[in-house]
Amino acid sequence: MNPSDGDGELTRAGDTAVREIGHDEFDPIGTLALIGIYFLILVLMWLFMYFVEFIGNEPTVIGGAIATLLEVML
Amino acid sequence: MNIHTYEKLWLVAAMVLIVGFIATITYGSVALGITMVGDQQPTIEPSDVSDDDRFSDPRVEQVGENEYEVYVVAQTFVFRPDPIEIPAESTVTFYVTSPDVIHSFSVVGTNINTMVIPGEISQMTAEFDETGEYGILCNEYCGTGHHDMEGSMSVVSPDEFDMLELSAEAPDEVAIDDDLTVNVSLENRALDDETDTLTLAVGDETVTEDVTAAGGDTLETTLTVDADALGVDDHDWTVSFGDHEESGSVSVLEELDEDDDENGGETDG
Repeated sequence: MNPSDGDGELTRAGDTAVREIGHDEFDPIGTLALIGIYFLILVLMWLFMYFVEFIGNEPTVIGGAIATLLEVML
Repeated sequence: MNIHTYEKLWLVAAMVLIVGFIATITYGSVALGITMVGDQQPTIEPSDVSDDDRFSDPRVEQVGENEYEVYVVAQTFVFRPDPIEIPAESTVTFYVTSPDVIHSFSVVGTNINTMVIPGEISQMTAEFDETGEYGILCNEYCGTGHHDMEGSMSVVSPDEFDMLELSAEAPDEVAIDDDLTVNVSLENRALDDETDTLTLAVGDETVTEDVTAAGGDTLETTLTVDADALGVDDHDWTVSFGDHEESGSVSVLEELDEDDDENGGETDG
């Protein structure tokens, strides 16, 4: 049988029952949830680090080339 | 190529994360103007730091309306000037250097933090919107006194801030038939003129004069009190201009001893 045809099928090889599933049928939802949580933590930690810990610690060294350029233009 | 849906999801999410990181940094740089500590100043010989115009007299200097420059020397184991006093609602550029070993200039609890390398001048600009007191620390091990190396910076309200230095001199003794003359020197290092009343208070006598200390200039004046009005005694005098005060004491005598004696000693005879 074609393993990618999407239909799981029980075959019998010797005494062991083997179920073959298609590529898209493989559904590791637990792993996805875990990675999702990891991703969320990463985003929240980044936002906390940048906007609270860094920018919240004013005064900050300012006056880069872009800011100076903007100041001249405005 | 056959890529699983979850895998595609993860690839896209990872891309979004990277774009997000870059976007936040760009926002900080463009919208907030956050930048690195500047190293664009030419280097100087560490041994010549005390001969440099900027660092021979470490100080706060006004360079524009609400714009100040602070020249700081970090050396074993002090920061000069200490304390640094600057007004709120101002833009301040720090130039920091070291004549001896590597130090750091870290304004505690803020993002103003730089390494100070001998002969190199670290340049940092920051905006101070609110009043407050900050500590300054060295966080590069610089020697046996490293743990004692600290300074302070006070951001005071613009109304209280001035760059005036008042000094007054008066003789220690004055004869009763003479005048007590106090020489006052008022240095105004700010760009704007400062007008206030100069007051000399001695005993029960008060002399006032409305003066204007021109920006970037030193005003010299004298205040005079008739010694007869004070009476023979020791008197404390105080010269004040705004919040600034300078004081001393003077003895009013019947006659001055030595000088008069030397000059002929008429009164003795």
